[in-house]
Amino acid sequence: MGVIVKKVELTWLDRTYVWPVLQGMAITFGHFIRNLFTTTPNRYTVQYPEMKREIPDGYRGLHELKRFEGGEIKCVACFMCQEACPARCISIEAEEFSDLNITQGFQEKRPAKFSIDMLRCICCGMCEEACPKDAIWLRKDYELAAYDRLSMQYGKWDLMNTYSDADGKAHINQDPTPSVPRRTIAL
Amino acid sequence: MDKLASLLHTSPATAWMVVKVIIVFSAVMLLASVWTWVERRGSAMIQDRIGPNRAALFGKIRIIGLAQLLADGIKFFFKEDLVPAEANKGLFWLAPFLAFVPALMGFAIIPFGRSFVSGGVTYHLSVLDPGNGMGMLYPLAIGGMAVYGVLVAAWSSNNKWSILGGMRASATMVSYEIGISLAVIAIFMSANGYDPSDVIKAQGHTPWTWFVVRQPLGFLVFFTCMFAETNRLPFDFAEGESEIVAGFNTEYGSMKFSLLALAEYSHLMTASALIATLYFGGWQVPFVKDPTVMLSVASFVLKLLFFAWVFVWVRWTLPRFRYDQLMHLGWKVMLPLSMANLVFHAWRMSQGH
Ligand code: SF4
Ligand code: SF4
Repeated sequence: MGVIVKKVELTWLDRTYVWPVLQGMAITFGHFIRNLFTTTPNRYTVQYPEMKREIPDGYRGLHELKRFEGGEIKCVACFMCQEACPARCISIEAEEFSDLNITQGFQEKRPAKFSIDMLRCICCGMCEEACPKDAIWLRKDYELAAYDRLSMQYGKWDLMNTYSDADGKAHINQDPTPSVPRRTIAL
Repeated sequence: MDKLASLLHTSPATAWMVVKVIIVFSAVMLLASVWTWVERRGSAMIQDRIGPNRAALFGKIRIIGLAQLLADGIKFFFKEDLVPAEANKGLFWLAPFLAFVPALMGFAIIPFGRSFVSGGVTYHLSVLDPGNGMGMLYPLAIGGMAVYGVLVAAWSSNNKWSILGGMRASATMVSYEIGISLAVIAIFMSANGYDPSDVIKAQGHTPWTWFVVRQPLGFLVFFTCMFAETNRLPFDFAEGESEIVAGFNTEYGSMKFSLLALAEYSHLMTASALIATLYFGGWQVPFVKDPTVMLSVASFVLKLLFFAWVFVWVRWTLPRFRYDQLMHLGWKVMLPLSMANLVFHAWRMSQGH
């Protein structure tokens, strides 16, 4: 189906070219003046390291391995996420464990190692979809740069937000989107 | 002045000359380099962006991004200075100077303030004193030389894209120079002389006697042609990233490139000075009959800066022309318009106005 493009009729004033140019210059000058009297934080551009945008809900950034209230890991090492991952960047090693409080004496599985190669991860969220236990979530972290490839391998404790303090004691970081890199625990 | 002259073992005239040359050319060069920053920040504001505001002295003093100039200069200075293997080496080296020197030289004739008498000697505030016989023809002739810088830069780098850019620039300049000269001739007729002091005197101190009001058509033609002459958008056919890589300066890097860029901005300054002198009364202060020297200089500088800003402003408002549109505009619009302007004013003069 053809579309008839309506031709714009130019008035003689437009044909002189001078008047439209002046109009255009008025527009650009309006922008110039408005920006001249607007302070930098109030402009459209977000001055990134100093200012940060609010991340919308549903953003897919770095993963998080969820815990029960007691602090135990929810993941049961079922390998569903590893299977679902299109980038093949999750690698899990399972182990058996039993704890009277958590597993009532039964033998259960949990990951001994759980690492995600964030260099390969495409943040698609398929692992989150696949997980039967709601154990892996994607959170709002997006500042994942590092100086070497090895530090982009996120291990189990990294994904569980657990970091060692200066005195060696583990603590759980509650801040969902940190502004400084916080990888302190080795794989 | 006399003390300085005796200190340097020269005559006061020579000392005054040297002082003028230093002041004028360093001011123009400084303005040209500052204008690279003005252009970037101004364009950013026009387009609702931020522009370079991060460069800071010692990592702290940001001064609204002015340190960017310094950073750029240092960067250019320490970049590798490549000369293409097949280039014409001598001309390749010469081209930036061929572009830069005419751009500066055009400024020599422009009076940037009122002449004054001190101790029985008249001091003229222009590098070339009035009555030297060249008058306003000189900047036009020198402006015509500027195309050699572009053309030589393009040709010597032995690059197809460069030569295309150079050819386009030279064709533009040649076509638009005719429009310029015809517009300027009308001014010379009305001013009854082609010395800048004559032109300025003929305009007087009231804005409605300035040539922009008396010859609006001529102003329009001259102003438009100045964009082509300085190779600025919307007529910047020497360059064109989407068409010919970068244009005439494709092969240039480091200080040679920055010299070419500086040449463009010096040219812009000279062009604004020409517009201010020819059409806006030069150093005349509106409604002030005999301004003090300082006031006249300030008035001239203000006009100059305003037109330099208009160059930036227009660049970020208008899209570029196509090459055939440019030629069309030059030969079929600008030339007849300036011709009509000339004939009209000649007729008016014959009627005794
Ligand atoms: S977000 Fe996608 S790519 Fe990344 S680990 Fe999960 S499934 Fe794999
Ligand atoms: S994170 Fe979920 S899907 Fe992946 S192994 Fe653990 S329980 Fe299974």
